[in-house]
Amino acid sequence: MKIPLLVATAALLATSAQAAYSPGGTAYTKRFETALLAEPSPLAKALARISYAHKLKIEEVRGAWLRVSEGKTTGWVFAGNLAEQKPAENKGLDGLPVAASETSATAAARPLAPAAADYADRRGLAQARSDVEWMEHTSDGVTNDQVQAFRQAQKKGEFQ
Amino acid sequence: MNALRFLCILGILSAASALHGQFGGFDLGKALDTAKSVGKVAKGVAGIGPEEERVIGGSVAVEIAGTYGGLVRDEKIMRRVNLIGRTLAGFSDRPGLNWRFAVLASDTVNAFSAPSGYVFITRGLYRMAADDDALAAVLAHEIAHITARHALKIVARGELFAGGSSLATTYSGDARKAQAQLQQFDLGVKEITETLFTKGFDPQTEYEADRIGRDLATVTGYSRDGLRLMLQRLEQRSAGDPKQVFSTHPPLADRIKRLQ
Repeated sequence: MKIPLLVATAALLATSAQAAYSPGGTAYTKRFETALLAEPSPLAKALARISYAHKLKIEEVRGAWLRVSEGKTTGWVFAGNLAEQKPAENKGLDGLPVAASETSATAAARPLAPAAADYADRRGLAQARSDVEWMEHTSDGVTNDQVQAFRQAQKKGEFQ
Repeated sequence: MNALRFLCILGILSAASALHGQFGGFDLGKALDTAKSVGKVAKGVAGIGPEEERVIGGSVAVEIAGTYGGLVRDEKIMRRVNLIGRTLAGFSDRPGLNWRFAVLASDTVNAFSAPSGYVFITRGLYRMAADDDALAAVLAHEIAHITARHALKIVARGELFAGGSSLATTYSGDARKAQAQLQQFDLGVKEITETLFTKGFDPQTEYEADRIGRDLATVTGYSRDGLRLMLQRLEQRSAGDPKQVFSTHPPLADRIKRLQ
């Protein structure tokens, strides 16, 4: 029991000790597509678009914005749109990586999995199933455009 | 439960989900052959793909709603928690999940999450979150549990006990065995819900969620101190009734100290 605990502790310490983004460091894209912008502003022109799980070099840090490069391509990205570590590879039922498009924030909202609904029925949790289905329906009623407008109005994310 | 066995069964259920769409009904028998190949690739948390995660997450979400009094069906509250929650989740390490947020009709003070993007906060905790910074801090902590796949690791942890053989090869289309496999799946879900409701995650896992959640709230533009201040408020309250406040989490004083 002691060895796994020590390994787990060491892994956590290593994660905790990881430095925040700094020039010369690296970051990874975590969306289906990440735009490299001409300026550190959400309304700036996109110079290039980088696909999922690409490693980028950090050239400069300005507040919550990073100037990054991949090869000869350079541009600005809001730090919240990048990950410190390479995103975990998702695998489907066949064991092969799933399409990167499934990591897109624009992926269609999906209802309660039929097998989960069957689980609820098997356990006699009809009311709880109804609650979760209502939760999904009501949550999905808040559109991505509304979330984006909220961010802008509240000055959150790239609109800070 | 043996993790590989659980994942094999999960493969059956996920495959059945896919077949549900094709044939309009739950046909376990037709899914069994697919499950055999699933069993061969299911290894640890990496072997739990998006479809399997949806099945686990949906099942755990149903248990959470069933255990904590159902949901507060208030459209205004739902809109608030989903706007703040999705603002945060969009900058998490898994922005593409179907993120859903809701308030449980329970006056205990706690919050829960289920794999694939289900986040719940109790009415008791929601009422204590005085402003958006406090609410965001709580939601970000739960988002962190999902992005770090903490609940999934509960069923993946036993991988080493599986050895190198594929248990799926022992399965057949026999109805009696299929029933037994469903019972095994239910036990796997129970392992997760027992952790969420009774045992709690181990302290290091909670500290990790605190750290990831705080960083997520900060980069999104919410207060870096939101979680610490919220926990301090809860600590004052818990002096009178400690079992009612985050009863499945490490001592509040330890969490507050680590966030300073």
